[in-house]
Amino acid sequence: MDVRKIIESLTGTFPEAISEAMVESEIRARAYVDKEKAREVCQYLKDSLQFDHLCSVCGVDYIKRNELEVVYHIASYDHPVVLTLKAALPRDNPEIESVVSVYWNANWYERETYELFGILFKNHPNLKPLVLPDDMLGEWPLRKDYKGFPNTTAKNLV
Amino acid sequence: MGEMKEEKTNNSKEIQEEGTIPGVITTTTSAIHNFLKKTKVQDIINWGRKNSLWFMVQPMGCCGVEMIATGCAHYDTDRFGIIPRNSPRQADVMIISGYVTKKYLPSLKRLWEQMPSPKWVIAMGDCSISGGPFYESYSTVQNIDEIFPIDVFIPGCPPRPEALLQGFVELQKKIKAKKDLGTEY
Repeated sequence: MDVRKIIESLTGTFPEAISEAMVESEIRARAYVDKEKAREVCQYLKDSLQFDHLCSVCGVDYIKRNELEVVYHIASYDHPVVLTLKAALPRDNPEIESVVSVYWNANWYERETYELFGILFKNHPNLKPLVLPDDMLGEWPLRKDYKGFPNTTAKNLV
Repeated sequence: MGEMKEEKTNNSKEIQEEGTIPGVITTTTSAIHNFLKKTKVQDIINWGRKNSLWFMVQPMGCCGVEMIATGCAHYDTDRFGIIPRNSPRQADVMIISGYVTKKYLPSLKRLWEQMPSPKWVIAMGDCSISGGPFYESYSTVQNIDEIFPIDVFIPGCPPRPEALLQGFVELQKKIKAKKDLGTEY
């Protein structure tokens, strides 16, 4: 399947939800998705465009735009195109629909994004911290305004 | 331990005052230990202790690989009486071999409490001494020497097995000189 056909199909099916869709190369494409429609777009990608492999879910903090972005990298076992799907969330209330019901392996990715960025994934089956201890919940260490980094409490700094 | 001793001595005083055992001074094990620490017998005890330093196999980072290599046949720590043990209840030495994250610290404390006394700690590698490459991380514990009574610091990233062996030898010297932090003299 050609990368341009994929983008055309995506923008044709979701004209309101998909924005700034562009082709980077023969194997890379990217698009912004509306946060309300993220799960439906993923469902469509999996069912109709053979995007059956979710590579990663991660977050980016754009503090100057007052936005948090969730980034999905979705690839396929049938064609070589990797789609970078981004969803912009407001920084004071970052909530997005979980895609675990579409891609089961998003479970731990979303838990890690939750503990590091504080992005709340609605309808996630088990949204609790993955790696960090429970008492660090609420600090959101990878946000740009995190106060705990650099940690200067060591008395013998190298 | 101090409380126990006080209670016991009070009891013995009561017994003496009541006069149930005339002419007999009762004592406690901790009192015997405290008496022995002032005599030459402690030298013999320490000689035995320093020659059977069993360390707990609890690798925490890449230094843990060196620690395992030290316990294996090539470096043969058995000639110093240093044997790897898998259970904290059979171990004398805990080697902090890597960064201590905030999540792992409670487990590490629990392992330390499970070890029977006398027990010693060796901080191995830059991570456990000062944080190493993670010294300004949000999730690691700084100043591990305020939490555990560390006798020997082994710098290196990671230190070679020979360095760990030398650390053990230094710990043996400390125990022999009664300068170790594991026992109260």
